[in-house]
Amino acid sequence: MAVGKSVPMLDAEDRVRGTVEYAANLKLPNMLVARVLRSPVPHARVLSIDASAAEAMPGVAAVLTAADFERNGLNLIYGSGRDQRVVADDRVRHIGEAVALVAAESVEIADAALLAIEVDYEELPAVFDAFDALKPDAPLLHEAYPGNILNHSKLRHGDLESAFAAADEILEETFTSPVAQQTTLEPQIAAAQWRDGHLTLWTSSQSPHTVRNAVAGVLGLEPEAVRVIVPAVGGGFGGKGNVRTQPMVAALAWKVGGRPVMLALERGEEFVTVTKHAVTITIKTGVKRDGTFTARQITLHWNAGAYASSSKHLVPAGMLRSIGPYRFPAARVDSYGVYTNIPPAAAYRGAMSSQASWAHESHVDTIAHWLGMDPLELRRKNLLQTGETFATGETIGEAHFWECLEAAAKGIGWGEPFEKEPAPNVRCGRGLGVMMKHTIATSRSECLLVLDAGGGLKLYTSTVEMGQGAHTALAQMTAEAVGLPLEAITVVGPDTALTPYDAQTASSRAAFMMGNAVQDGAAKLKAKLAGAAAPHLEHPAEALAAADGFVFVTAQPDVRLSYADVLGQSDLETLEAAGSFQTKGGLDPETGQGVATPHWHQGAGACEVEVDVETGKVTVTRYHASAFAGRVINPQFARLQNDGNVIYGMGPALMEEVVMDGGQIINANLADYLIPSIADIPRELESTSLESDSGKIHGLGEMTLPPVAPAIANAIYDATGARIRDLPITAEKVFRALNGNGEG
Amino acid sequence: MVTLRVNGQEHKLDVPSGRRLIDVLRDDLDLLGARGGCGVGVCGTCTVLVDGRAISSCIMLAEQAEGKEIATVEGLAGDGQLHPVQQAYVDQFAFQCAYCTPGFILTTVALLEDHPDPDDQTIREYLGGNLCRCGSYVNIVEAVRAAARDRAARE
Repeated sequence: MAVGKSVPMLDAEDRVRGTVEYAANLKLPNMLVARVLRSPVPHARVLSIDASAAEAMPGVAAVLTAADFERNGLNLIYGSGRDQRVVADDRVRHIGEAVALVAAESVEIADAALLAIEVDYEELPAVFDAFDALKPDAPLLHEAYPGNILNHSKLRHGDLESAFAAADEILEETFTSPVAQQTTLEPQIAAAQWRDGHLTLWTSSQSPHTVRNAVAGVLGLEPEAVRVIVPAVGGGFGGKGNVRTQPMVAALAWKVGGRPVMLALERGEEFVTVTKHAVTITIKTGVKRDGTFTARQITLHWNAGAYASSSKHLVPAGMLRSIGPYRFPAARVDSYGVYTNIPPAAAYRGAMSSQASWAHESHVDTIAHWLGMDPLELRRKNLLQTGETFATGETIGEAHFWECLEAAAKGIGWGEPFEKEPAPNVRCGRGLGVMMKHTIATSRSECLLVLDAGGGLKLYTSTVEMGQGAHTALAQMTAEAVGLPLEAITVVGPDTALTPYDAQTASSRAAFMMGNAVQDGAAKLKAKLAGAAAPHLEHPAEALAAADGFVFVTAQPDVRLSYADVLGQSDLETLEAAGSFQTKGGLDPETGQGVATPHWHQGAGACEVEVDVETGKVTVTRYHASAFAGRVINPQFARLQNDGNVIYGMGPALMEEVVMDGGQIINANLADYLIPSIADIPRELESTSLESDSGKIHGLGEMTLPPVAPAIANAIYDATGARIRDLPITAEKVFRALNGNGEG
Repeated sequence: MVTLRVNGQEHKLDVPSGRRLIDVLRDDLDLLGARGGCGVGVCGTCTVLVDGRAISSCIMLAEQAEGKEIATVEGLAGDGQLHPVQQAYVDQFAFQCAYCTPGFILTTVALLEDHPDPDDQTIREYLGGNLCRCGSYVNIVEAVRAAARDRAARE
């Protein structure tokens, strides 16, 4: 069986030889280099742009400003938010916003051309903080959004007033999480070429079909006239979801009319292209003396930045993810997306869930200590179980929150004495966290299976391989479902001209959604094989079955034909079957009641920390992560996802913060913006992937990330009695909390 | 004119003064294993070996590398059998997106030259200049240990 085995990635050798093809490797004849002129001010009217000197420079192939779009009938606005422009027209709303685009023979020429473009700005008052943006006299970013409120999602469950009245105590806290940056090591990159009314685009993206549709919209083309090819992706983490730089390079390629154009962002440009939402979360819980939760009320203010990007669906997602995997007779959540003059925010691995879990898991810890209860026991008492109802009104089909938490707690020896006596200036502590996250309620994945007469099978899929091993895992699932050895499977895609529709590779959905599409396709392929084999085996198709590379008579398994022979004897070069999988759901906008997800993502973490009370330095010494997998496809990949999430999560927990001054990012480089290195990982880092009898596959892309920050903060509290409520947990914040100056 | 010795081969190149080593490797010599990441020498995706030392090729000029022995990931195995360090990274599942992997592998080669049997602290110090955002560090440490064991067994 191919599923359940740790097989290396299909292209593992290419990955260690350095020969994997990333988009940056693309070397097309006569390719031009693109550069972007960006706004130096956070909010301004654009009075005029004079690009004539730049256009006249030798070596400059094209300059594009908003005026060119209008003149040529191109659409400036793109994307699901309907507020973002390929280049600014009469307003800029954040520092770094694109104002003009240049395609030239070299980077040097393109940069010189940028300097030659004259832009007159009339500066406007700007606002950077969500609460400032909500003030009545705040500058307005988008006329269609009064009060700078992009959206307000609501959850109304039960009778809140009487549920709070039933509590013995009501506790309220406020937590914050700052702007951060996804920091894929491969920066955003896209190249495009215009040929005979068609555009071909190569890009590092998690969302090939979303990009295709957005680019087609900008150029006024049918989606089929745009071909999006995604080579190997050097990390995604949400930063490469949705649409990023692709419309810019597409418009330039259209303008130069034939020569390919490549736009590769520099590191600093990453920070003004996409970020993680900053948020302030106020959470209030009613609790009985015995630890039973009675009610919860949460208010979230997400800083969406200057444009909606994915916030239209992420702000509601943040609402759902803020409640936590607990039983509440009543709950009320208000989640606001707020426009400000900073770069737009989007998904960051563990999207909204990592910010939300930071609040609800730190808060549960506070409640436990207030009650004098073991934080593990308090959670056990209130965690949702299979068959219970979540605050959306839907029934939890499979709840494994407690098993996840228990595995994590056991993994670090919860409740046992510490192994060694620390130095006099060091305190040890342990902390826990658990998470619950929905995936996309309504979405579709399709695939195509093509069997050839040589016995090989090609899986055509738009699932993006970005390091998570998706292509290999899908090949394993295909091999098992069709009944062929793994070596017979080749994965093709994503290439929107060849591979069928897939919503996107995000929200930990690929293994589940595309996995189910593969199952569907395999069943159809087997039925077709039986149909083709019927005349040769002299039995009706209904009397035949297909498995392990053979079509056979169910009643006489030795009467059989190999798949290759079925095709050969039927004079078929190939036999193909399309697979698809669709989920449906949705919530009432006024009450948040309905179906949020086809299934729930579940994970937990437990850690042990050492806190140096003289300096505030925190060292995570042990960490055990757990996630509910349903069925593990490839144990090593599962481990890499679980470990990778913990390590990624240590970034926002301990060090990551995009720092701004007047809307200008002052640490937009990897020397000043720190992400975890090998020196930061716990001495002992382990994980558990839980399986269940149902064997239904759940994605593992994010589950062990959201518990990281609260588990660490809770361990710090356990060690020192200092409660940190603002991320990241720097040594300075811990020191101040310990010394009664600030955070405590 | 700059003469560079890369993976044992001499190249006479007409490069403008101030051109970065990474650009010469990628654009002029088509050696794509060194990759741009941070541009300021802190992420390690552009690592190459210069006289056996792991160097960020994004902050070294081509002329600074003249007269030195430059090794890129392509030089470890060519098209032949994987270098033992590369094999150890495959065997230990020590990568995900692999954008950082050539840098890690080259730094591991340099580490094992200096410390054939490195302890955990030495591994962390040597590899601290290579970042892996996918977070494959635990398996990377195992790959380094496996490569060290393999090296000891062959000697």
